[in-house]
Amino acid sequence: MRKLLLIGNPNVGKTTLFNSLTKSHEHTGNFHGVTVEEKGKLVNMDGEGWYIVDLPGLYSLLPFSYEEEISKNAILNNKDFNLVISDANSLKRNLYLCLQLKELGINFKLLINNYNYFKKHGNSIDIAALKKYFDAEIIDAKKCKFNKNLIKFNKIDLNLTYLTQFLAKIKEKIKKSDAELIAAFNGNFAGFNDDEIAFVNAQLPALIMARYNFIDGIINEAVKQNKNFVYGKSKLDKILLKPPVMFAGFLAVFFASIYLIFFLVGPLVGDALVGVLYFLIISPFMNFLYSAANNIWIIQFFNEGVFSSINTVLTFLPQVCLLFLFLTVLEDSGLISRMAYVLDDFLTKLGLNGKAIYIILMGLGCNTMSTLISRNMSERNLKIKCALINPFVSCMARLPVYVLVASAFFGKWTYFVVVGLYLLGLAVALIMALILNKTILKTHSNNLLLEFPPLKNLDVKHIGVVVKTNAIDFVKRVFGVIVSMGVIVWILSHTNFKFMYTQEIGESMLFFLADKIAILFAPIGLNSAGAVSALIVGIMAKELIVSTLSIANNAQSNAALISSLTLAASPVHFTTASAVSFLVFILLYCPCISNIAVLKKEVGGFYTAFSIISQLTIAYLTSFVFYQSIQHGIWFAAISLAIIFTILFSVIHLTKKVKHNKCLTCNKCHRN
Amino acid sequence: MSLSEVKLNTDCVVKEIKIADEKTKIRLMELGLILGTKLRVENKSALKQTLLVVFNSSVFTIKTDVANGIIINYA
Repeated sequence: MRKLLLIGNPNVGKTTLFNSLTKSHEHTGNFHGVTVEEKGKLVNMDGEGWYIVDLPGLYSLLPFSYEEEISKNAILNNKDFNLVISDANSLKRNLYLCLQLKELGINFKLLINNYNYFKKHGNSIDIAALKKYFDAEIIDAKKCKFNKNLIKFNKIDLNLTYLTQFLAKIKEKIKKSDAELIAAFNGNFAGFNDDEIAFVNAQLPALIMARYNFIDGIINEAVKQNKNFVYGKSKLDKILLKPPVMFAGFLAVFFASIYLIFFLVGPLVGDALVGVLYFLIISPFMNFLYSAANNIWIIQFFNEGVFSSINTVLTFLPQVCLLFLFLTVLEDSGLISRMAYVLDDFLTKLGLNGKAIYIILMGLGCNTMSTLISRNMSERNLKIKCALINPFVSCMARLPVYVLVASAFFGKWTYFVVVGLYLLGLAVALIMALILNKTILKTHSNNLLLEFPPLKNLDVKHIGVVVKTNAIDFVKRVFGVIVSMGVIVWILSHTNFKFMYTQEIGESMLFFLADKIAILFAPIGLNSAGAVSALIVGIMAKELIVSTLSIANNAQSNAALISSLTLAASPVHFTTASAVSFLVFILLYCPCISNIAVLKKEVGGFYTAFSIISQLTIAYLTSFVFYQSIQHGIWFAAISLAIIFTILFSVIHLTKKVKHNKCLTCNKCHRN
Repeated sequence: MSLSEVKLNTDCVVKEIKIADEKTKIRLMELGLILGTKLRVENKSALKQTLLVVFNSSVFTIKTDVANGIIINYA
């Protein structure tokens, strides 16, 4: 098997090319840093296996963030074949990376993408002239096919005169081989002492200028460019980059989307979908079971454990599709970079930077995915902060719970309750960022070096593919994880400690254990075993909360579940106050298992434990304030909040004092 | 004069780069912002903490702290 790496600057179309070559549907977007990890797929050509790898974008072999480090290591370790994808509109900067690869003797073929846009604006590339320097070809990443021509490679030896001069100059001071010195220019200092490293680093600015002088020679020969051409600039930017327009526009679109997603189109299509499913599969299957099996537990198992899980969660498929439609439109249009720029001032005050908006928006879809994206932050503390605040952003898995529980208690006000939950999650995330910045995770170097992509017309076909891919993933998850976990929940809620089937749900293992710890949740109004077991199960996956509620209340449809939640006779029921408390707790309590696993990988065990404990504490305190305020009046909320904020400010003050005392005994930073 | 003091939409040329954070300095240079590069500030954010700068036909956001270390001449 041979390995083929797709290398290039961020946002040049590597993942689009990967999707074309491998017939995949990996996530793409018109934003810097969408791909943050290696993704590979095995493709067969003429009986030979090719493992095609899509790498995160990198500008240079001197990494600026973790995802660039991943790409660099993959490039240095690949012995097979490389394709460098370059954007025709920023060829000069793209050739910088090519030159670094040439210096290291790494062979590659240069593919120039997005040429039509370049040409449309009165520019051109003389590919014959460029071929004197690189084995180059103009492609359209969307239409590219994996064939022999693509990997046919002509080796071109470049005479890198500037490099020879540099090596000679440095060798006067450092006795190293050419290979060792070239590796050092690109950040690999194995075998170098501190003085030698400092000397090489001091030469870097001059080397970079020499590289660009060399590139200017190539560009002058091969590229004809309109003097006023700027890639990434749009006439609409004059309006979009005004903060009030951006804020008002985003909020209007966001709230309108939520209304459309959850209250207008979503439920209609969702009910129709489940109706069809019930008519075609569930009803005939259950009729067969009733006639063939006379064992009540088998019938109950399928009815409650399997089908009710599918019913209650699958109803939300249209909402999930619409949510991804909203996010994909934002990503593909180029608006996210504009939002990052406009919001950067505000987010910087909280210890984040503009790029955090991308992580927050992706968190609306899936927290696990957006935790992974936090690695494109260039600074460690910034990255950890983004990963830690991310679970407070409401992911789509929590939506079914909000809509169902809020519908049961707030009727026509449901929309405002759901919007309020989203805003509360966002507010807690931002306050958390501020507290972390003031205490243990101060941002030291906040560089928003972000390239603006052009505003693009939306590609309806691509959006359709993204929505379809996410819908399929959601359905797979419903029929895979959710059903299998639903079955486990059903077994645990219908089996007693003698491992016997029981119809009395209060005697089951799950409810027995939940009942024992329910006392802890009494101050927040959730002292029923049913509510507590739903919270426990929700740690596995948030979608399971709804299926657990429907299993506990033996509800076959969403309408039945909604009405059962208000009945005191149901195993799981709420009052208005406890329903609010339940929703707030679900919004803020600990991340799901898959997010915990990614958190541990990205920020380590300490911060993962910190995330779980802090989230549980914040969820408990916030639910407590909401529940007790509804029970005892607004004055209770005021006093509680005053106490909580006093404690918070004391902690911040104390941490600052401890840090300051440490500073007085240390001279490692400029503050002394 | 530093880049952060430049008026909007005025062409200028990089004269010197005196950014304290060496990593950021090198990265900006690798992006093509080297001595002699023509640039133009297209926009300043509401609190003027971030600039939108055009160089080498691309648009980049640069923090004002960093722009303070980019010394320019008017073109």
